[in-house]
Amino acid sequence: MRDGSLNELHWLGVGEAAHAIAHEKLSPVELLEALLARIDALDSKLNAFIRLDREPALKAAHAAEAEAKAGRLRGPLHGVPVGIKDIIDVAGLPTTCHSKILEDNRAKADAVCVQKLRAAGAIVLGKLSTHEFAIGGPSFDLPWPPARNPWNTDHHPGGSSSGSGSGVAAGLFPMALGSDTGGSVRNPASCCGIVGLKPTYGLVSRRGVFPLSFTLDHIGPMTRTVADNALMLQAIVGHDPLDPGSAATPHGHYAAALERPVRDLRVGFVRNFHEVDMPAEPEVTAALEHVVRTLQMEGAEVRDVTLPTLGEFAAVNRVILQSEAWAIHGQWLRDRPGDYGQLARRRLMSGAFYSAGDYVQSQRRRLQMIAEVEEALRSHDVLLCASSMDPACRIDEPAEIDRTYPRQARTPFNVTGHPALAMMAGVSADGLPLSVQFVGRYFDEATVLQAARAWEQASGVDGRHPPIV
Amino acid sequence: MDEETIELLALRAGLARALADFPEDVEAAAKQAVGVLERIKQEPRA
Repeated sequence: MRDGSLNELHWLGVGEAAHAIAHEKLSPVELLEALLARIDALDSKLNAFIRLDREPALKAAHAAEAEAKAGRLRGPLHGVPVGIKDIIDVAGLPTTCHSKILEDNRAKADAVCVQKLRAAGAIVLGKLSTHEFAIGGPSFDLPWPPARNPWNTDHHPGGSSSGSGSGVAAGLFPMALGSDTGGSVRNPASCCGIVGLKPTYGLVSRRGVFPLSFTLDHIGPMTRTVADNALMLQAIVGHDPLDPGSAATPHGHYAAALERPVRDLRVGFVRNFHEVDMPAEPEVTAALEHVVRTLQMEGAEVRDVTLPTLGEFAAVNRVILQSEAWAIHGQWLRDRPGDYGQLARRRLMSGAFYSAGDYVQSQRRRLQMIAEVEEALRSHDVLLCASSMDPACRIDEPAEIDRTYPRQARTPFNVTGHPALAMMAGVSADGLPLSVQFVGRYFDEATVLQAARAWEQASGVDGRHPPIV
Repeated sequence: MDEETIELLALRAGLARALADFPEDVEAAAKQAVGVLERIKQEPRA
């Protein structure tokens, strides 16, 4: 970097890198080479990548460098590398979904969200580990090993966007795309201490993304800071008439909201999630109370809110998800069940045991749940709640994973489609991230980001990195 | 859900191969579905 102000290029954020490249203080090639060196040093421990696309990325970085020198910037992400969860199509690369089923499934075109990132100037670095088909993991019976947590590589990084969370947190790349059907952007964000946003249902096109559940799937940005999340979100939003779930709604200007003060912001604190429905670890509860007190100190008005139980939200999510997933996977499960890992096979086969009536009743209950969250958001600008009720456990303890994975408050907002952001709320005594979640009105990502930025700024959580060398 | 019902539903869904090769996974999948349904409480454009 020309002014030598930062010798650790791998911790450069999206906005910082884009700004330095635009002002010719940093070459995209220099940045990419620093990240490739970091990947070479660490990814054998983290398994964030299924496929590193080294040569095409270097070629793109050289092109970006020449364009920057000529004063031709493609967009606000010019020259900044991005990792792509391997259920999302990148032209010419296999979209494996981390499964033997799709080992040779080469994509013919970029997914719309990847097209948009490239149009903004981003450089695709490669395809990232996921739970199999975004549902079965962490698993050790698949063609590639599961990603690990950079805060402690004996622990899981959350999922299903596990390589995205692990790699962003470890400084392998400054941003990644994830998908979120039952919390799969926000779980790794929570476990790895980064910022993960599930936008409003329909804000980001899913065309070119292998579906898990048509009415629950979302695509979202994963970054190390709230400002970077806003920048990445801005690049990928927009109506896509060929995604039937895509909304023809004007989107906000997200970065402009970040520095708005939260004085008089009305925050609803959903206590029943972590105090009654799924009592959280004391460290998590203490961290949430600290977030609340901090926002109150900043002038926000915090009041308690009660929503339907997490158990019922999760059940409605499960019936809809597994019924819709069965419509996708049924034939493969009939013909080649042995090509799935055990976790995905079990979770996907459940869809065979629901009736059409079960699915319809779940969709009806879903409408009532949407109305209840909407009611809470009529008298509050944003909701605050737990994300994970426990820090990430060891990756080699399946019983503990089975116990702790469902202990979360993320599925409600897949069921309702409201925007929800998870980020670090602190660090446990064992050195693992604790998390908090902010939830907003439909298409009001700006206020969600505003509240998240206020917490980040007051707490300094964006300056904390995992101890991995 | 008893074993016979699970087998009947699995066969109706075309899961004969899974039933033969992974009977414990079929049973776990069925029992998970039943457990989920018990948690849901029993009025879409022109």
